[in-house]
Amino acid sequence: MASALRRILGWLFRAVPVVLALAVWEGIARSGTVNPRLFPHLAAIAEQLVFLASSHQLGLHLGASMTRVVVGFGAAVLVGVPLGIVMSRVALFGRVVEPVFSFGYPVPRIALYPIAVFLFGIGHLSKVVLVALECLYPIAIHTYYGVRGVNRLYIWSAQNMGASRAQVVLKVMAPAAAPHVFSGFRIALPIAFIITVLTEMVSSTEGLGWLILYSSASLMQARVFAAVVIVAVIGFVMDRLLAVLRNRLIFWEKEAVLVAIR
Amino acid sequence: MTREGAAVLAGLMALWQVLASAGVLPGYLVSPAVIAREFGALARSGELFQHSAVSLYRSLAGLALGAGLGVGLGLLAGVSRRVGGFFEPLVSLTYPVPKVAFLPVLLVWFGISDTSKILLIALSCFYPSYIAAMYGVRAVDPLWIWAAQNMGARPRRVFLGVVVPAASVHIFGGLRVSLALAFILMLASELIGSSDRLGLGFLIITADAGGRFDMMFASILAIAILGFGADRLLLWVRRRLLAGYVVMEDSAHG
Repeated sequence: MASALRRILGWLFRAVPVVLALAVWEGIARSGTVNPRLFPHLAAIAEQLVFLASSHQLGLHLGASMTRVVVGFGAAVLVGVPLGIVMSRVALFGRVVEPVFSFGYPVPRIALYPIAVFLFGIGHLSKVVLVALECLYPIAIHTYYGVRGVNRLYIWSAQNMGASRAQVVLKVMAPAAAPHVFSGFRIALPIAFIITVLTEMVSSTEGLGWLILYSSASLMQARVFAAVVIVAVIGFVMDRLLAVLRNRLIFWEKEAVLVAIR
Repeated sequence: MTREGAAVLAGLMALWQVLASAGVLPGYLVSPAVIAREFGALARSGELFQHSAVSLYRSLAGLALGAGLGVGLGLLAGVSRRVGGFFEPLVSLTYPVPKVAFLPVLLVWFGISDTSKILLIALSCFYPSYIAAMYGVRAVDPLWIWAAQNMGARPRRVFLGVVVPAASVHIFGGLRVSLALAFILMLASELIGSSDRLGLGFLIITADAGGRFDMMFASILAIAILGFGADRLLLWVRRRLLAGYVVMEDSAHG
């Protein structure tokens, strides 16, 4: 009973800064010093949220954006994890592809987007390719370090107890590397979303990024903010879902704090 | 770079050159020699440096603003539970949000100016710096703090002499992520628009629209060099400043 009360009080306490931030927003909007068209009231944003949710538009844009995020991220996982594993297990291959990672990492891959549009068109494919390319880096690098960092003693002891090659891989190496691999996923997923929204802003005909830019160009700031709120909620929910999934699958190890691009 | 990697890279470039000269590749994949010639021409005319300087100014100003604020507040939040507790719900709610979504908002508020670009970069750079600094402070071994206090160090001295240096390994990790972000968002905001018609992103999008693929690849090359150079510079500074610290291999960067 007391613990439940304490938990509710804790939640209330945590809500204070958020409510305060919203109150500051509303205060500025109502102060009269700013143009309400450019700095809309919370009520106007909420109204647009309801409008977007009830119109068929939202489903269309949401569907387009989520397809790009999921397909791009999925492709990066399918390519990146095996790539990281092979890089760490086959020394020659690791040395051959090393410059792709050491030179390619600090270079903003988004610069390649105009080329991707030329190669793959303005539709889904160019965006999916760029999303996959951006996500490939964290996933492959984390898998590489994860597999390379598996304690050899674990492998030796498994072998010593007569484990087969498959057993060593499945029962020892996969669980030992999994936390790192998941760190790569958690860094890559927000990147997938950023790149999707970004490429949709640069050139697109649908998607949440396009919706934001189009509403902004039409000077419908309240709708821009409504779309930003939707993007924010999706970004937040995706991150939470992945965190929950990670803690379910890798229950034996607490997640390290990740400082990553978001 | 490994010898095998360099060999493969050189081989790929040679293959690209041969295929492009043979006319097998589509027109928009111009050969490395043509890109190099255009790069040289842009450098000689000074255009390249003009665009690079503007882009560099935007990204570094945004980085300084965002990372400065982030590290400062992060240190404070790490030291004081109250400050950390106040910002925690706000940060954890807004951290997973793609900050680039705010670009059109900033564009309307501040115009297609340097201000909107710098503010967007600052907003993005704030988060990694803040989180790295906060956890850096929280991860400081309390034994070191007790030892310093035991030897009569005042709070100010403990903070500057023990906490900040111990947290700096984490802080540099955050700065490195912020730096990469600054370049991505600089480019993104320039691709969407530059009122002064300057910046490498603007050069890319103009060359793209005009079908000048040699110029487009030359500006991409310039961005790659800047991004790579800035990252190496940061690592060099870290090595100098943190000489003697155990710096873990950076695997936690996207």
